[in-house]
Order: sequence, then C-alpha cells, then structure tokens
Amino acid sequence: MKKASDDTECMSRLAAGDASALRDLYERHGRALLRFSSAMCRSRQTAEDLVHDTFVAVLHGPRLFDPAQGTVFAYLCGVLRHRVSRHFRQQRRLVALAWDEEAESAVGHEPCPTDEIARSETSAVIRRAMLELPLQHREVIAFCDIEELSYQDVAAILDCPIGTVRSRLHRARALLTIRLASLELVDLAGEPPLAQQGLS
Amino acid sequence: MNETLHPQVAALLAQYRQELRDTLPSDSLDARIGRLVAGPAQESSRRRLPRLGHAAAWATAAGVMALAIGAGVLIGVRLERGTGPARLANQADTSPADFSLWPSDSVALQIPAEYSAQGKLVAVDPQTQTSGKRYWIDVVVSNDGTVRIDRIVPAEPARKDNEGIADGITLQTP
Repeated sequence: MKKASDDTECMSRLAAGDASALRDLYERHGRALLRFSSAMCRSRQTAEDLVHDTFVAVLHGPRLFDPAQGTVFAYLCGVLRHRVSRHFRQQRRLVALAWDEEAESAVGHEPCPTDEIARSETSAVIRRAMLELPLQHREVIAFCDIEELSYQDVAAILDCPIGTVRSRLHRARALLTIRLASLELVDLAGEPPLAQQGLS
Repeated sequence: MNETLHPQVAALLAQYRQELRDTLPSDSLDARIGRLVAGPAQESSRRRLPRLGHAAAWATAAGVMALAIGAGVLIGVRLERGTGPARLANQADTSPADFSLWPSDSVALQIPAEYSAQGKLVAVDPQTQTSGKRYWIDVVVSNDGTVRIDRIVPAEPARKDNEGIADGITLQTP
C-alpha cells in the first residue's frame, strides 16, 4: 500500500515538473516493464525501446494518470501495452523486399534474437511458442503467468471486465499448450479433449 | 489462477519466468532513462537559448532595416540635391549643342544675303560693304531638325545698323 502511495507521489512530483521522480518510477517498475516487453517482443532491443518510449510518454503526460482508475504500475503497463500494440501494427505495414533462402538459412545458424532473453533451450522454445500467439493472448499470459498479476489488476490494465480476462487467459493457455504439445514439450495423453478446454 | 494451466506448461512457464526475472535492463537503457531525467533541465536551457536567438535575430533584422531606410533617405537627399539649382546652373553654363543635336525649341535665324552675278541669292559677310541690294533670309530650325526658310525680306539699312550684328546672323524666338 505504501508502495502504491509512493508511486502516486512520484506521479504528483512528475506533474509538478520534478523529473527525478521518473528515475524512482523506473527503478521500481522498470524491470517488470522490461519483462513484459521482452515477453511480448522478439527483440531485446525493441523491448528496451518500448520501455523507454513508455517513460518518455509518462514524462510528457503525467497528468494523464488518474489514481481513481488504478495503480501507477497498472497505468505504466497500460502505456507500455499500447506502445507494444502500436509497434506490431507498424511492423505489419513493413514488407520484406526480397526472399533470400540463403540468407534465411544463414540466419538460422546465427543466435536467434529470442535467445538473448531465453538462455536455456527449453525457455527458448516456450518463448517462441508464446511469440506465435496472437497479441491479446500473449499479453494476458505475460501478465497473468509471467508477472503473476491478479485478474483484477490485469483487467484494469487491459481495461476490460475480469470475466474477459479469465476467458482470454483460458484460451491463451490452451493455444500455448497445443503449440508446446506439437513441439513434444507437453504430453497431452489422458488430457480432456481440447474442445472441452475451450478450443473448438 | 492455475486452474486451466497444464502442469507441464506451468513448469515450463515457471522456468521461462525465472529467466525473464534475471533479465536486467541494459546499461544503454539506464543511460537513456538518465538522459530523460536530465532532459527537462537541458530542455529548459535549450528553450531559453532559442528565445535569445530569436531576440538577436529580430534586433539584427531591425538594425538592417534601419540602415536600409537611412541609406535610402541619404540617397534620396543626394539625388534631390544633385538636381537642384546648383546643377541647373551648371547646365546653363554648358552649350545646348553639347547635349543635343537639335534645340529644344524652334530657333529663327536671320542670314544676310545678296544676289550674285549669276542671279542667285547667297549669304554674305555683313561687315563688307557692297553696292548690291541686301536681303534678310529668315530661317527657322524646328526642334525636330527640320529647317525651313520662313521669309526673305529686303534689308533696311536702319535695321541692320540698329542691331549691330557682328556675324550677320540674328537669333530670334519665334
């Protein structure tokens, strides 16, 4: 509770023009934001860029934060989430100039950007499986299963009802399980049919 | 919260979560945030500088404009003085022939002439005394360069004496 009030005080200081409050917010929440961003993005550099952009946005618009609508951390996550979403929208507009199979195979032998974050092979595989999920499913797993936030907090971040968070998480986990099973990392023998898990 | 999570998936996610939690922001990100924190002070000083720069630019522009106006006034005064009475006086001292082939107004000339032995009217020296009858040929030179003989009249001795013309040519204003 004290942490939340400290965060709110930091936002007040920011709104008053005290930029050093941004450093306090970064030290408190920077790592968690970077974790979420890293879970969402393929590249570590992109993840850090988006975290930086988030703090730039907070620095320039601290008055946009409304304590009545949630915690400062939820607000920061919401800003970052929008940055991530915008990043992927921009990425969709990019078109590859040429398809070079040799270059592709050469890249295959290079360390994959995803491996910058996932150090073990198993983590690299689950990371790739997560990155293949749709954005809204990926983010709900990142918040609920990686950051272990409560449904209430996630609902505040995603600005949706708790029931939506539950259903979205259920579907996201099912998709991830199927993907990991296809990679033979998960054994689904004896499990109920996937249709009963919410996937049809 | 884990009611729908497969145990093996939960274990994999836990391993991934642990690795993510070991992830630290890079020095580069720390430095960028540091610059961001220091930014507003630098930004405010940068904001003041352009204002000073704007003031200097406006002052320079005003100075240049004042100089241009002053130079214009000075040139105007000089030109005005150049076409003033003093210059007109200088022009009056100069022969009109120096400036234009033809006079600005028509000029009438009186040329003394006498009949020659061949019966032609020729110009004569007014200083020479001859027994022949003398005439005045009034010649008008217009400002467009045309020359015409206005009239030929017999010279009267009294008139010639009164005017006392040395070269025999009298200028008249038509």
